[in-house]
Amino acid sequence: MRALGRAAALVAAGATIAGCAGGPGGGGSGEKISDGKVVLAVLNDQSAIYADLSGKSSVTAVQMAVDDYKARYGGKAVVKDIEVVSADHQNKPEVANSKAQELYDRQKADVILDVPSSAAALAVAGVAKGKKKIFMDIGAATTELEGAQCNKYTFHYGYNTWMLAHGTGATVTEDGSKNWYIVYPDYAFGQDMQKNFTAAVKDAGGTVIQADPAPFPNDNFSTFLLKAPGLDPKPQVLGTMQAGGDLVNLVKQYNEYKLRDKGIGLAVGLMFITDIHSLGPDALAGTKFTDAWYWNATPENRAWADKFQAKAGKRPSFPNAANYSAATQYLEAVQRAGTDGADAVVGQLEGHTFEDVFAKNATIRAQDHLLTHDVSLAQVKPSSEVTEPWDYEKVLKPIPADKAFQPASPACKL
Amino acid sequence: MLQQAFNGLVGGAFYALLALGLAVIFGMLGVVNFAHGAFYMLGAFGSYILLDHFGVGFWAALVTVPLVLGLAGALLERLFVRRLAPLDPLYNFLFTFGLALILQDLVKREYGVQSQPYPRPEALAGTVDLGLFTYPAYQVFVLAVSLVVCGAVWVVLTRTRVGMIVRAATERPELTRALGIDVGRWVTPVFGFGIALAGLAGVLAAPMRAVNPLMGADLIITVFAVVVIGGLGSIFGSVAAGFAIGLVSALGNLYVPALSQTLVFILMAAVLLWRPAGLFGREESPS
Amino acid sequence: MIASRPAARPLLLATGLLLALALPWMVYPPVALDIACWALFAAALDLLLGFTGLLSFGHAAFWGTSAYVAGLIALRSGLPFPVAVLGGAASAALLALPIGYLSVRLRGIYFAMVTLAFAQMVYFVVNQWRGLTGGENGLQGVPRELFGLDLSDSFLFYYAGLPLVLLGFLAVWRIVRSPFGRVLASIRDNPARAQALGYPVDRYRLLAFVLSAALSGLAGGLFAVGHGFASLENVYWTTSGQVVMMVVLGGIGTLWGGVLGAALVVLLNDYLVTSGFEGIGIVTGAIFVIIVLVFRRGVWGTARDLVRPRSGGGRRDRPPGEADGTPARPQGVGSPV
Repeated sequence: MRALGRAAALVAAGATIAGCAGGPGGGGSGEKISDGKVVLAVLNDQSAIYADLSGKSSVTAVQMAVDDYKARYGGKAVVKDIEVVSADHQNKPEVANSKAQELYDRQKADVILDVPSSAAALAVAGVAKGKKKIFMDIGAATTELEGAQCNKYTFHYGYNTWMLAHGTGATVTEDGSKNWYIVYPDYAFGQDMQKNFTAAVKDAGGTVIQADPAPFPNDNFSTFLLKAPGLDPKPQVLGTMQAGGDLVNLVKQYNEYKLRDKGIGLAVGLMFITDIHSLGPDALAGTKFTDAWYWNATPENRAWADKFQAKAGKRPSFPNAANYSAATQYLEAVQRAGTDGADAVVGQLEGHTFEDVFAKNATIRAQDHLLTHDVSLAQVKPSSEVTEPWDYEKVLKPIPADKAFQPASPACKL
Repeated sequence: MLQQAFNGLVGGAFYALLALGLAVIFGMLGVVNFAHGAFYMLGAFGSYILLDHFGVGFWAALVTVPLVLGLAGALLERLFVRRLAPLDPLYNFLFTFGLALILQDLVKREYGVQSQPYPRPEALAGTVDLGLFTYPAYQVFVLAVSLVVCGAVWVVLTRTRVGMIVRAATERPELTRALGIDVGRWVTPVFGFGIALAGLAGVLAAPMRAVNPLMGADLIITVFAVVVIGGLGSIFGSVAAGFAIGLVSALGNLYVPALSQTLVFILMAAVLLWRPAGLFGREESPS
Repeated sequence: MIASRPAARPLLLATGLLLALALPWMVYPPVALDIACWALFAAALDLLLGFTGLLSFGHAAFWGTSAYVAGLIALRSGLPFPVAVLGGAASAALLALPIGYLSVRLRGIYFAMVTLAFAQMVYFVVNQWRGLTGGENGLQGVPRELFGLDLSDSFLFYYAGLPLVLLGFLAVWRIVRSPFGRVLASIRDNPARAQALGYPVDRYRLLAFVLSAALSGLAGGLFAVGHGFASLENVYWTTSGQVVMMVVLGGIGTLWGGVLGAALVVLLNDYLVTSGFEGIGIVTGAIFVIIVLVFRRGVWGTARDLVRPRSGGGRRDRPPGEADGTPARPQGVGSPV
């Protein structure tokens, strides 16, 4: 009993303290720049499966955005003092959750960037909503972020499952490969991709002959690869929704069974440039996929990629470029708003249209906070056409922003 | 269908090699090696490193990598495992668990988590006509190697003096010692051999599976289930269960995709219910 | 907790309670809740490992199942969160019945392997059963409120959840000191003798397994509600490994050691996350290796041995296999049953 009494007293005391220290989240009360500086926090996976794709190199990209902003505005910059901090969530949602709170509360972060993988991203979105601080997600693919779980302070930047599936499914079908056999990993991402992909293929006038769930993770895809040529009618394309190590497994075995020679092409739902590097371009030559951005697509991209390489020591992946762009657009919004108060910055971001090195024909949709921008259908080059390291892709055709992303979902109520 | 069954056997070839390694180590030392998956991963990475840094191809890797890993295993036994052997086997389990984490993250630090490229050997790039169907040559080769190795181990165990000592030490360690046989002399080589088998499985996996630091982590848990099904004390049981589980999961993928991942664990539960010692394990009263 | 000098016990208890109450003032409040939950989880595992002699390498199944069930109850029924957490603990106990029934027939190392395999099966089921669990997206948006009082502030939630953790500790403490606990210890030390004395050994082990699972569930449910979501990480084998590490680091069979181990591991992880060091597994793995090779009594056990001469300690405080300093190769090697 005595212990409980003491606990109650502590609770009361704690509440007072929290009330004083926390204050209202982002109203921008009085001072224009809270704490006299703007803090950009990159919270991503620096040690587990997404580390190579984004990780520390995205911290570099965000620092580049800060440097470019300072150079652009010089003495006219609203914020003089900008800090970039980062934390490694190890792809663990609980860690992402705790660290996000700490970044907002203790490190005074004004925006959290990146946060790959769905569970972690959705958890951080919840924190952002509670603390009324801005969160711009780049690394996660789930459409929940701009669907049922959207909120006023969360933005989804770069790509999502709908874009990946529709870009590839619709374009490849329109190009004449009507009959599909789909293999997808049996978990949330794969199931989403399969649904979206099938819808896209049908809309474009194609047929999905069969869609099979595969275990996840899985290292033996022979079952499905053996089955493919025997389906009736014979599929023209094998659409795989596998990602990462599973994708590598599947493609290695696809080549083992020589399905391309049997007239069954390969289309990939989600592929990053790092995956092509893993497999070697020849293993994937001719494979079509949707890419949000490619470093060697235009001279502008290339110039940025050169600058990035000088700092990070490697060619940028699209999440690197998207982090750069998100940080840039955040700072620009602060500049326009004249304050880093979250509500004012959200007001500046909503509905904003712009172009930068990552995003062309871009709009931050006011209804659901999804960034829509032009993406492209890409194809993997055979090694004979590769002229320099990481030069793996050929851009086949652009997919305009309004076709590339889904219409705003009625499930999202900001 | 036949083709699917064959493909199941190829998958089972990996389980069998890994389970066999676990079983001989367990038999001789009473140690369950959690780091077995990590050594499988090192086998695959070893081939990649040989190719990437030294231009040494698949065939040389097939011999050198298991050899090097086997020696590393022997060293490991001498330095650490031996010290913990007189204690509860849990300590060696925990030790190898820690070791697995270290090995995995060391490789991750050096090479990242992305899969590394490894080509298939040219000589095995084609397909083989097996009469009823044609099949990728490389996969036939994997199955053949696995069968030959498991068969050879079987012959050694049943036909040679070394094998008899190992079997005797496995089944009646005290009695074997009491008969004046120096069991200790064989512990280190057997441990090294078990690790070499894991390395061999890794080399075989490199051309057909994703080579990354995490490739062994989940696999080892499935192999544990395989070994429990076969009967941990039983070398023959481990190998047989390895191939059987490969077969069952391939057919499971085909007919009951919803269960394909849990199938092996359901089988394990069923076996435990029916024969707690595993299919080929010996029922024995505890004492 | 089982100090042989009774005078030391109230002092220890008071210190522990004070620390528990002061924790969110000393560390960041969400971290404080993590420490409290993991500490209870570690104590629950120690109940099985240290006091029953069974190493479960699959306790994530119970911690995680309860996380999901507690989350679902809070999310869908709107019941107060302690009810949801207790519901989660009950579900963990229920799950432990069949798993325990099959596993306790096996000894030593087999038990570890089989529990690990079953936990992996639970992981796959949770991952696939998306309609209920949200799959890899996790079960998001679990409310944190009690009778209309908003507890989403981590500082407040810590104090709201602490009574549940203390309740869990009280249960562990009572179990260990009960006649039932003494039977468990005798089974751990000499199963054949316990059997000969007429104790149904497997049934005692099963009951211990279920109790340990229920307490792990209590901790896991609170952890999930405290974070506001449940995720696959909760049921993954790394979680099982982490809790084993806490117990081993703190000292097997000491209860307090598990608490200390939990605090150390949580704080270490929290530090590593922002340290920029890639390779948390290297540190974690090295701790395992070092503890197993040179510090088998763990931090708490070693410290206590320094304070108290060795002869003073009871046999029950020794890690398995080292009873009375005589290296023992326990039954079960070479024969699984």
